[in-house]
Amino acid sequence: MSEFSVIGKNVPKDDAFEKVTGQAIYAGDINMPDMLHGKIVRCMEYAHAKVINLDISEALKLPGVIKILRPEDVTQKTYNTSAIDITTPEKVAAILGDLKDQRLFTDYVRHQGDAICGIIAESEEICERAAAKIKVQYEALPVITTPEQAVHPDAPQLDERKDNNRAFQLPEPMFPKNSYGWGDAESAMKEAEVIIEDTFYVNKQKQCQMEPHAYVAQYDMRGRLNCWSSGQMPKLSHIQLSELFELPMSRVKIHQTTVGGGFGARLGLVFEPETCAMAMAMPGTPIKVQSLREEDWVASESRHSGNYWMKMGFKKDGTPVACEAMFKGNTGGYFTHASGVPFTTGAWLAGMYNFGALKYQGENYFTNLAPAGAYRGYGNPQTNFVLEQMIDRACQKLDIDPMEWRMKWAKGKGDDCWTLGVPYSSCELPECLKQGAEAIQWDDKRKQYAKQTGTKRRGVGVAVMNHTSGASPMILEHTFCTIMLNEDGSAMVNIGCSDIGQGANTVLHQIAAEALGFPMDDVYMKTSDSDANGFDIGAHASRTTFVGGRAIMSACGDVKRQLFERASHSLDANVDELEMANKNIFVKHAPERNIDIATIAYQGVYQPLDPATGQPEGDPGQIIGVASHHEKKNSPPFGATFVDLEVDTETGEITLHDMVLTHDIGKALHPAMCEGQMHGGAQHGLGMALTEETYYDEDGLCLNNSFTDYKQFGASDMPKTKIIFIEVPDEHGPFGAKSVGEASLVSPIGATANAVFNALGIQITEAPITPEKVLKAIQLSGLKFN
Amino acid sequence: MNTHTINFTVNDRDLTVTVPAHQTLLETLREQLQLTDTKYGCGTGECGACTVIVDGDKSINACLTLTATMEGRSITTAKGLVKDGKLSAVQEAFVSETAIQCGFCTPGMVMKSTSLLLKNPNPTEEEIRKELEGNICRCTGYDAIIKAVQKASSSLQFTNAAE
Repeated sequence: MSEFSVIGKNVPKDDAFEKVTGQAIYAGDINMPDMLHGKIVRCMEYAHAKVINLDISEALKLPGVIKILRPEDVTQKTYNTSAIDITTPEKVAAILGDLKDQRLFTDYVRHQGDAICGIIAESEEICERAAAKIKVQYEALPVITTPEQAVHPDAPQLDERKDNNRAFQLPEPMFPKNSYGWGDAESAMKEAEVIIEDTFYVNKQKQCQMEPHAYVAQYDMRGRLNCWSSGQMPKLSHIQLSELFELPMSRVKIHQTTVGGGFGARLGLVFEPETCAMAMAMPGTPIKVQSLREEDWVASESRHSGNYWMKMGFKKDGTPVACEAMFKGNTGGYFTHASGVPFTTGAWLAGMYNFGALKYQGENYFTNLAPAGAYRGYGNPQTNFVLEQMIDRACQKLDIDPMEWRMKWAKGKGDDCWTLGVPYSSCELPECLKQGAEAIQWDDKRKQYAKQTGTKRRGVGVAVMNHTSGASPMILEHTFCTIMLNEDGSAMVNIGCSDIGQGANTVLHQIAAEALGFPMDDVYMKTSDSDANGFDIGAHASRTTFVGGRAIMSACGDVKRQLFERASHSLDANVDELEMANKNIFVKHAPERNIDIATIAYQGVYQPLDPATGQPEGDPGQIIGVASHHEKKNSPPFGATFVDLEVDTETGEITLHDMVLTHDIGKALHPAMCEGQMHGGAQHGLGMALTEETYYDEDGLCLNNSFTDYKQFGASDMPKTKIIFIEVPDEHGPFGAKSVGEASLVSPIGATANAVFNALGIQITEAPITPEKVLKAIQLSGLKFN
Repeated sequence: MNTHTINFTVNDRDLTVTVPAHQTLLETLREQLQLTDTKYGCGTGECGACTVIVDGDKSINACLTLTATMEGRSITTAKGLVKDGKLSAVQEAFVSETAIQCGFCTPGMVMKSTSLLLKNPNPTEEEIRKELEGNICRCTGYDAIIKAVQKASSSLQFTNAAE
């Protein structure tokens, strides 16, 4: 029998019933009396242009149009949607040099989809008709689409505060010599007997959360700004909107609606500023802004594309003596996450293998593409595509099995994790590799696939990854939580953690029930309300189970401490003589002396008088447990993916056959939800490896901002998948758990690329690995497959 | 503006609506009737979030259907599958198999799966995957959804339908 009552059980998700009947309310589902509709008019014709003239007169004449907001009609304050500056200490933020470079509406277009003005009208349809009547005269400016073009001497400069369009490089003094790593990699490289070096391209993948961004905002008659948003960081949005509109936080309220997928797309702000500006212009009237899919695509953030150079040196026995790397990211038209991603991209590299020395440099460049930002994995997918292919290339040269090499040289418990100086608290990567290899039949398949003939070639590949459980110590990891007992002994957990579909509320509910020793039904989660909830940084960095869970456990401890103290008074016994079971506290050696939790809670609220003595019963006061939890740990998980696929060398087409996903999870608190994360992460990872990229033409205009032209994996595209969790509890995680959310996306990328390498003996250095690239690579290699 | 008055049934309720000729069924459901259980995901018939059932067992994309063509037809949405407060077999299976994450694709997935099982109560895994190709889920990787459809397929409702 399990030692736990609800941990490790597949309880129904808290929100399953309302979602399966369509009754869950997303922002776009909100209808209010007297509600008006807003539309953000965007520049779709140019990626870089000045607005010479904005003529709204014809649009204003259209019946049903109420107001049109131009750049001069709204606050001139600038902002950065990413919220990174709020999450780092002020001194660190100053060193990172983040820019607040976004405007509510602009007369200077820095990417296709930039916002020009905002229409308020009686219906969405009238908004659309009015938008067609707005005349904008543009002066087209030269366009840059790549980091190479950005540094060209003749390139237009997008922000005068950043020379040569370099938005970011790892800054001194935090990163001596603008690099991250250890040892002297350049000198160590001289000792190498085998050196490999290459430059890779990583792709601009789109989160494609199923719910297009939508909001309702109302500046109510009390002068409070209300915003109904599906953001994944409601508290940071609360702070950001308060700063932008110069209102105290007490006059801003975020109502987090059901979130139709996050994946990083909703970190910080998206289109809340424009929606709120419209609401501020119409006091009392709720305004709904529903973005179209094609608009969401070009105007909101994506994964960072970029060029990734890597050089590695080895001894002939496989000892990795040095690694040097440089990631040049494409941050697009605005700064957003320009400082965060080039750091973590190198951090995941630093966390993976015991190189003799490592030197990583990361930079980010302004271009006229849609801004890049946060996307599940946050730099890790880019590193996985490059690092894991480089390791397999080295293993081929060294004639070492890539599985065995990883088993020997991957980091483990006690080694520095992605944050150098912080050791891994646990690591089950060797077990992941061992069980994964058995499940995919690694040895047999590698032997078998080495002697293939014919035009269709099978390949099996492996890749490993490390990630994190929260961003401590780099970024603020604070969650405030209270747990109040109702007078019937049921509990209300008040916490600002963000359920973005991953099931945060359910797993936190399980943790609370388990830690309190209450049934699930006796615990209710109060979330998504910035008036009620205290600080929580939001859903990012795979933190919610780990950090939110530990905050809840701390608050549960506070509740139980109070219950035991009061029980000790009522039962006339010491606290250490007491035990709790079935919501009843009893004296261990005399269980007939006991009191129900409900009685203690009731007595605290009502203070009933004992009719015999006339004295109040129990201790006064409603019980509330509090935790303001600052997380110091980040217990990173590891994982290994194995992919078995077939390449048709005549068409370049790749067919996935089998995949094994292994994960060092510590403890799967809700196994079915954890498996859901693994399968879902793989859907993104396989897409990044094989099909997904937002393409732009040379004018910086998007070529595939729709599900028609952007291919993500459907139900028939997914390979047969086996999931293996290695459950060895981590000493810090709640009930031993480590994260699973982002991590699941990462190693399917490298494993797929390595399986292609195993099939063809050729590596494709540009993601995604499309049939065209496969055919081109085969042609260039001169190899014949028949 | 050219309008049409349409008599049709939505979730067993007889309704009359007057709509512009260009109004889609999705707009009528969500805006005019305020039935927001049918979702807007792309507006181009690619994602399936707006899938509803017409005349018993045919699934359609509400975003590509003009309301003016719905005269005399019967529409069922995810909410309409709930009878006397009880979830349908497909809905039950989506809950018990944890086939729901963000839930935005869920109503459409449920309608598509229901339509499949009404026509083919015992589909193979391949048939389920094929049928669901027009419904995108960005959260689950489809695995739990396929299992939910298989589970619903063996439930009483569909076993009876197969007889």
